[in-house]
Parts: sequence; C-alpha cells; structure tokens
Amino acid sequence: MAWLVFLTLGAGLGGLFSAFISNRVKGEVIRGPNIGVSARLWFALFGGILSGFAARLARGCTSGQALTGASELAFGSWVFMFCIFAGAYATAYFLRKEWL
Amino acid sequence: MGPLYKFGWFDFAYSLQLAGLIGVLFGFLLERAGFGNARKLVAIFYLKDFAVLKVMFTAIVVCMLGLLFFSVFGWMDLSKIYLLPTYIWPQIVGGFVLGMGFVIGGYCPTTSVVSAVSGKLDGLIFVVGMILGSIVFAEFFPLIEQFYSSGSMGAVRLSDVLKINSGLIALLVCLMAVGAYWLVEKVENKLGDPETLPVGSRKAKAWAAAILVALGLVLAVVNPDRIAAKKTSAAVKEKPKIEAVRKAPPKPAEPASSGAVIIEDEGC
Repeated sequence: MAWLVFLTLGAGLGGLFSAFISNRVKGEVIRGPNIGVSARLWFALFGGILSGFAARLARGCTSGQALTGASELAFGSWVFMFCIFAGAYATAYFLRKEWL
Repeated sequence: MGPLYKFGWFDFAYSLQLAGLIGVLFGFLLERAGFGNARKLVAIFYLKDFAVLKVMFTAIVVCMLGLLFFSVFGWMDLSKIYLLPTYIWPQIVGGFVLGMGFVIGGYCPTTSVVSAVSGKLDGLIFVVGMILGSIVFAEFFPLIEQFYSSGSMGAVRLSDVLKINSGLIALLVCLMAVGAYWLVEKVENKLGDPETLPVGSRKAKAWAAAILVALGLVLAVVNPDRIAAKKTSAAVKEKPKIEAVRKAPPKPAEPASSGAVIIEDEGC
C-alpha cells in the first residue's frame, strides 16, 4: 500500500496549488457563527479520531470505499456509502450549533 | 490492455510516481470544488448545498460507465481490477461512525488533507485526530479483530447479491443519479442560499440527464457480464494458440533496493 502515501502527498500538493492560484491559502478556522474557535477545534479533533478509527474499521474512507468501490459496483461499498449518509444525517441535528 | 499495471506496462517505482500524480489531480479538483472548506461540506447535511452529493455521484457514475464500456470494448479486464471484499458488519458500523465524524469534525479523510494545506487549522487538527484514531484502532485491534472480519461475503458486486446483470445495475445507478440531482436541486432552491448556489442552464442539465440514461440503457441491453463471460470462455479455448504467438508480458520489475513489497492492494 505504499502508493497510498504518494497519493496522499500528491493530494496535499494539488490542493495547495489550487488554493494558491485562487488566493484561498489563509490561516483560519472554519466554523459557524455561533461557536468559538477552541470548541470548534475540539470538535475537529474528536471528529478526526472517529473518522480515523472508522476508516480503518471499514477498510476505507469516502475515497477508497465510497468512490472507488461504488464505481466498481462492490456490494459492501454501496452499503458503506449509504451508512455514511445515515450516520451524518442522524447526527446533524445535534450539531446545528456548530455550523448554522 | 488494462489495467495497465497488471499487464506490465510500467514497473512498481513508476506506479508510485503515477499515484503521486493522480493524487495531485485529486487534491486539486477537491479544492476547486470548494471541498477544503468544512462549512461547504457539511451544508449537505443541513439540506442547503448538495455539492458533495453531486460531485460524489458524478465521479461514481463516470467511473462506472468508463469501466463497463471499456470492458465491453475489450480495453479493460475487470476481473484483474482489485475489488474491495465485503465485510458487511464492519462496513455498516464504520460507515455510520465515519458519517458522525464527518458532521462533528467537518471533513472526511482526503478533504481534511486539502483543507489543512490551504491553512485551515480545523482541517489540520482533524488530520491529527485521524492519526490518533488510527493508532487507537491499531492498539485495540486484538479486541476488535473478530468484529473486523465478521460478515465476510468475499469480493462480491451488486450484481452478485441482487442477481441481476451489471448492465441493468448501471442503468439503475444512472437513473438514481439523475433522480437524485433533480430532487436535491428542488430542496436546494427551497432551503439554500441562492447567492452561493450554482445556476447552470436547464438545457444543459436535460441533455446531460438524457445522455446518462441513454448510456445506461445501452449497457442494460448489451449486458457486459455476458460479453465478459464469452471472452473468458473464448480465451480458454484459444489459449494454446495465443501462447504460441504471444510472449508472456514482462513482469513488473522488483522494487530496486528499498525492499518494499506490495502486500495487499487494499484501498484507502
């Protein structure tokens, strides 16, 4: 799986290039109008931990499973993709203070 | 002809360079789509902006149609492409938890990388969190090992489980995509912010939808599974002849001195 390292490094490079040419490189914290910076960062950390764990558990993330697997019509990847949306929509209401 | 790597078109080292290049394109396009910004991403979960769904579904449909048509034309041997095996329970739970992490943290794994490099501190913290989550997974692996391999169904496709051919599935996916685009635009127009939503011409959308459904219909009629099966049986019959004429394809070169070995083809 060494290619994953290069793919991720490439994604960072490509993202930086795109952000750079459209003047979007800027140190900031993306958050809704009703949440403080430190609270938002704690949420980001917690969400990251959940995502990292879940991606390992499911053997892939939105890219490796949902995009790649679903276009190959892999059964588990389609189930996985719908579960992402189910999990997110089920949680969204409780976090509306973070974003809206 | 394809997949190129499996047929020895380039070696291991070059495949890594290609992975880097594909990563650059992927990251570039994600950032372009606005996916380096958590508020743009989670807007889908508050029914305000469905860019995430549109981009995801379009990527899936384009790739699916490409794979199936290439296989029908004989340009791609689908049986040689790594197919993610299905472990239904960890995938259900993992998907659900990843979705929760998406709304709580504001990103999914690759978009957080793009966000972090463009200076978003929350994106960077999310990446740190992912590394921690991955470490937690590794540390507690003995406890979850049994669950991790539960519900194993092997490398199965939708066509195997639903017992209908891939062409028909492709048509259904195309119809689902068109239906989803139509539906979410209705919702967006009601709940979204008209200033940030893309407009687009009705005519172009109708054409795109028609082309998508037409391509799906072609696949449903042609039935790629039957063609692939025919090719395999023909290849088995003609095998001695082919081997006499064609030399074995060169094997991908061994990694030079690093000693790196591909253990598994697993995705991200």
